Amino acid sequence: MNPVETNPIRVRNRVVYQLTPGRIVAWVLLAVLIFITLFPLWIVIKTAITHPKELFEQATLLFPSDPTLLNFRRALGMVSLEENLAVGGVANINFLTAMRNSVLFTLTIVVSQTFFSAMAAYAFARLRFPGRDLIFFLFLAATMIPGAVLFIPNFILVKNLGWLNTFQGMVAPFVLMTPFAVFFLRQFFLAVPKELEEAAYLDGASPFYVFWRIILPISKTPLVTLAILTTINTWNEFFWPWIVSKDNNMQVLTVALKMFQSQTPQGSPDWTGLMAATFLAIIPVFILLVVLGRQVVESLQFSGLK
Amino acid sequence: MHQVFRRTAIAAVAALAAQAFAQTEITYWLWDSNQQPAYQACANAFQQQNPDIKVNVVQKGWDDYWTGLTTGFVSGTAPDVFTNHLAKYPEFASNGQIVDIAPLIKRDGVKTNIYYPGLYELWGRGGKQYGLPKDWDTIAIVYNKKLLKEAGISEATLRTWTWNPKDGGTFERVIAQLTKDKNGNNGLSKNFDPKNVVQYGFTTNGSGGGYGQTEWSWLAVSNGFKFNDGPWDTKYYYDSPKLAETIQWLADLSLKKGYAVPVTDVTRLGSEALFTSGKVAMLPHGSWMIKWFKDNAKFDVGFALLPAGPNGRKSMFNGLADSIWTGSKKQEQAWKWVKFLGSPACQNIVGSYGVVFPAIKSGVDAALQVYKKNGLDVTAFTTIANTKGATFLFPITDYASEITSIMNAAMDSVFLGKARAADALKEANAKVNAVFKR
Amino acid sequence: MEQAPEPGAIQRPRRLPPALRQFFSREAMTGWLFILPAFIGFVLFYLLPSIRAFSISFTDWNLLRPPRPVGLENYQALVADPNFWHALKVTGLYVLLNIPLQTVLALLLAVLMDRLVRSIFVRAVIILPYLLSNVVVAMIFLWLLHPILGYINVFLGLLGLERQPFFGSPDQALATVAGVNIWRHMGFTALLFYAGLQSIPRSLYEAASIDGASEWRMFWRITLPLLRPVTVFVLVTSVIGSFQIFDTVAVATGGGPTYATRVIVWYIYENAFQFFKMGYASAMSMVLFLILVVFTLLQMRLFRAGHSDLA
Repeated sequence: MNPVETNPIRVRNRVVYQLTPGRIVAWVLLAVLIFITLFPLWIVIKTAITHPKELFEQATLLFPSDPTLLNFRRALGMVSLEENLAVGGVANINFLTAMRNSVLFTLTIVVSQTFFSAMAAYAFARLRFPGRDLIFFLFLAATMIPGAVLFIPNFILVKNLGWLNTFQGMVAPFVLMTPFAVFFLRQFFLAVPKELEEAAYLDGASPFYVFWRIILPISKTPLVTLAILTTINTWNEFFWPWIVSKDNNMQVLTVALKMFQSQTPQGSPDWTGLMAATFLAIIPVFILLVVLGRQVVESLQFSGLK
Repeated sequence: MHQVFRRTAIAAVAALAAQAFAQTEITYWLWDSNQQPAYQACANAFQQQNPDIKVNVVQKGWDDYWTGLTTGFVSGTAPDVFTNHLAKYPEFASNGQIVDIAPLIKRDGVKTNIYYPGLYELWGRGGKQYGLPKDWDTIAIVYNKKLLKEAGISEATLRTWTWNPKDGGTFERVIAQLTKDKNGNNGLSKNFDPKNVVQYGFTTNGSGGGYGQTEWSWLAVSNGFKFNDGPWDTKYYYDSPKLAETIQWLADLSLKKGYAVPVTDVTRLGSEALFTSGKVAMLPHGSWMIKWFKDNAKFDVGFALLPAGPNGRKSMFNGLADSIWTGSKKQEQAWKWVKFLGSPACQNIVGSYGVVFPAIKSGVDAALQVYKKNGLDVTAFTTIANTKGATFLFPITDYASEITSIMNAAMDSVFLGKARAADALKEANAKVNAVFKR
Repeated sequence: MEQAPEPGAIQRPRRLPPALRQFFSREAMTGWLFILPAFIGFVLFYLLPSIRAFSISFTDWNLLRPPRPVGLENYQALVADPNFWHALKVTGLYVLLNIPLQTVLALLLAVLMDRLVRSIFVRAVIILPYLLSNVVVAMIFLWLLHPILGYINVFLGLLGLERQPFFGSPDQALATVAGVNIWRHMGFTALLFYAGLQSIPRSLYEAASIDGASEWRMFWRITLPLLRPVTVFVLVTSVIGSFQIFDTVAVATGGGPTYATRVIVWYIYENAFQFFKMGYASAMSMVLFLILVVFTLLQMRLFRAGHSDLA
């Protein structure tokens, strides 16, 4: 592609060439949507930097009168238990262990779930075999039964496998697939032009070769998008790891952070601790997001040159 | 030489023996993280006495505690011993999930008269016993000392206040005096504008559902209402006019008079949030929240006795207990631990942490000392507990969750002004009693 | 692909009847091999528990004692249960409040990002709400929308407007829950659309642009038709998810006030774990399942009309 044609696209990344009324409206709309997205998040930060004793009294202030890092230290387990309890906090948590467990848990699931789901999605989108559409619909239908009636059979299965309180028990329901991932990738593989594969098959390539060397590389954007979404969902997964893990050193972040939430039937959460911990917990995911996001952009520019 | 050799040999044998008779580990669940340090201390003391048993204290927050427990029952992985609740245990007991400890109590000659009167009985049914009491709670009025002073109300006024459903008595007058509109008029003023209130005199924690433990039970019972004819009854009296007039008075306090926070404005953030923000002067709450108020309010907090109604002062008297799961494979060790939890030794330890009132007098004394040291006068809670006839028990029956669900909606509709208390409660009562007839 | 030679064709068992031959063709075997790992996961953690839930729906099971078969009793009870129908109605209303607005806003956001700023920063920002769990999101909005302590109401007060109760009022609670979920999922859904937009060749827009087509026209003529696979995906998954709304209700309203937000999954949960009626809860789950199957088939039929994705 010659530079004359690539230029406008690159320019569009940064500069607006013409400020037509339509474009102004568009910019304003975008700004409004971003503001709506960001503003509620201020509650997280503001609560996190407020001293527990001032939270309620200063509820309507936009900024605490006396910002503090106390809650972050509490969330990281850097204060003594006595000091923590004295400000209405709960027992100390081991933030770093929980973080490590979460990373391991998420990484395992994202890599293997994305891979196996992609394989299945490719088969559903491209290969012909009897019962294909029925099985695909069954996969989809699996998401339609509320988890409330499914998790007990699942729990009993994992228990019978002897996997309670183990890592494999925690990841088991997620590593092989989720219907969401299969469905998502199938839709994208459907949109991939068939000519590329046909050429490869004519050259005598195996289906796995086509999948691995052609389909996966050109589907980088949807794959990375899916990986991001799976990362977020897995990172936020609470109930299953909670019910399967028993020991404190097995806890993932969501389970450990639950400490800050309502402890008694008529109690109140440890709001300041909860928000500080929430803030700390999303940092790794956010970083990953930006890093992977950059990947997507690069891959776009790369495929744009082809 | 021989001496030394023998000693070493004995030590070695002892070490081997300790390994051979490995510790039995039992799991104990509780939901309140505030109490976890206290019970961990109990467990340590217990393990010192019983080196062959290890207690694994696990805290699981209230939100998921019961789902986790039920899953444990189904799959055979529930804890050996767990903190139980009055609204939950009848279902567990009637389905054979918790151990009847009456025979064990008899066998070991455990004294059961050491607890506050009534607590032990709450956990029994038809001669069977499903737990040993661990703590209790009562209700008092929590107030903002600063706002009281600003309104020129002396704390002595609160000691003699009275209430009735007709004009609200001196209780309502205090509430009115503590309410301010945006022009600075208080609720007693002729110019008071109930539509533009900036400071409320009173709030409850929502509409209170079927038990109104902190919200209305103390008012209704002091007006002569009774929930039912005693433990395990199968008929409720929610259609009683005594309850209806109480609820209507309470609803009108916000809907008509503007003295109390409308129920729409309490939301699930809770009345505590409003009170500690300084926008509400008083609220009724339970003794389990003492520490929370102290930790979260920037102003000085006081605790006053409930007002005396037509039938005197009345507070719900409620308590928790520890139960043993029937599926536990370590029944004997579990029982030992439960016995210890219910003994003065553990309850004095728990009391010394100053988070709850233990079920035994000596433990309460320990707790009172801690509160006093922290500059808190919490006698409002203990006085009523120690006054004969001033407490009534949680109305324990089957189907607590279904009753709560029905009553929540009915009470909501009254407090939202969508129905009159007399009508809504009559209808709800029929639904509640129908649950028992299935 | 049919023209593609199959090198392994010779090894195909010859004596099988044609109907069976299809089952053992090389392509079929490959297909099965490709879905095998996912299929195992599906059978173990989706299919088997679903079958179990289905069989439980014909029993009276309180979780604490062994189930007792009762035939169709749960289904009969469900037909006669006004709470069940009310919960379905509330859920349907919720889906209507949630899906159209969420989808339109997300699409708008995705197109705006695609045509105005391709910055990672913007994309990272719009996905931020999704990084927080449902529970935390509900908690944030309890603060934000609080009638007395919340920013929004303080702001309304400054403008001289009346305070709004949001979660606290039976008339506003459901719409508020929908709003909160739109907030959390808007960026997420936009990102899905955005990924779809990337697969549309730029050259199409450039050509249209040279022909003097307006942005509006390009959107209707190029973007929307080519976005169809993604749109099907977004609609199908968000409708399924929306019918199963639970967390926000559990945290922010508990099904209240006066049942205004008692959605179907909340009612199922109540029955299963608070009233100990697992059989009944399972029966309701099966009905919800049927409703969703119908909805999904309709959506897929609708979007595939005259243009098969599986060609």
